[in-house]
Amino acid sequence: MKKLAVGLLILVLFQWLGEWGVKALELNIPGQLLGMILLLIVLSVNKSLLPWLETTSSQLIRFIALLFVPITTGAFFLGPEIFEQLPQILAVLIISTLLAQWFMALVINKLRGSNGRDD
Amino acid sequence: MGAMTEMADMTTILLHQWQLLSTTSWPLLLTLAAFGIAWWTYNRSGRASLLHPLMVATPLIYFSMQTIDLDFAAYYSGNGILNWLLGPATVALAVPLSHQLRQLAGMFKPLTVALLLGGLFATLSALLLVKLFGLSDVVLLSLAAKSVTSPIALSIVEQIGGLRSLLAVATMVTGLAGIVMAKSIFHLTQLEDERWQGLILGVTAHAIGTAKAFESSPRCGAFATLGMGINGILTAIVLPASIGLFII
Repeated sequence: MKKLAVGLLILVLFQWLGEWGVKALELNIPGQLLGMILLLIVLSVNKSLLPWLETTSSQLIRFIALLFVPITTGAFFLGPEIFEQLPQILAVLIISTLLAQWFMALVINKLRGSNGRDD
Repeated sequence: MGAMTEMADMTTILLHQWQLLSTTSWPLLLTLAAFGIAWWTYNRSGRASLLHPLMVATPLIYFSMQTIDLDFAAYYSGNGILNWLLGPATVALAVPLSHQLRQLAGMFKPLTVALLLGGLFATLSALLLVKLFGLSDVVLLSLAAKSVTSPIALSIVEQIGGLRSLLAVATMVTGLAGIVMAKSIFHLTQLEDERWQGLILGVTAHAIGTAKAFESSPRCGAFATLGMGINGILTAIVLPASIGLFII
């Protein structure tokens, strides 16, 4: 329980640092993301924070779908203008995902072909 | 930048967070109950893609809201603590990512190339299709970040201006479509190496794809984590600066 709380506190502090950094430096990226990058840098230089963060981060990520329930429920209230475009929106999502997977697989096969088998 | 402005910035950030926490009230129970049912159903079904917890929980909540006559604004602000937790959850992604960065050492070049091209292609193809189908600009802004993991995607859409709820659904659909189609793609292109399969799942189907990759093997999951994390970071840096090119 103590680890969970300390871990959350560390995450929140990095989030604030990120949000504050983005404002102060007038960066055009999300503040939370800067917080994540800063934590990533700290963790790759020094691992001493890691034991405090393991529990909190794995629990947050495990139940991350829960955090998206309220915002996803909002989709039912998007209104007719969006609902009319829904079939095309679904088509965009499915086709672009299919194309991206196929394209990545081709690129990877190409890369492995030119470098020889990589193992 | 003076010390006063910095103090003011910090106060705004803290106030916003306090607002989210302090509005939390009983609609949170509705979310927790629906999610509990959805989580149980999902596990009971052997984790069938179409019974993803979000697919089950959200209609349950919608119909309950209709029954008890609760409007969305009240429901949403009542769930403030969950929205607040999205911030720390985004930062938390650094932990699994820091474990996997070691994997980069031996395959830095091919991995970077595949990641960059794949991430770019996933977003670009979606934006071009939106244009091709003649959809509105607000749809374009809402779909742009759809292949990025949800917490990062949500902060991107806030940045560029789009409908957060539409993005949330788009991300869910993308993830689910991704794991359903990936198997055939790997088969058709004869891509058998699970490390590369993981990378593709992470880049194109974010957290849902990563969870699927972990079901194959820890190694596959590790590469999915890497693909999801780095693609998220790159998209968050590139997209806000370049999205203007698609709005005419």
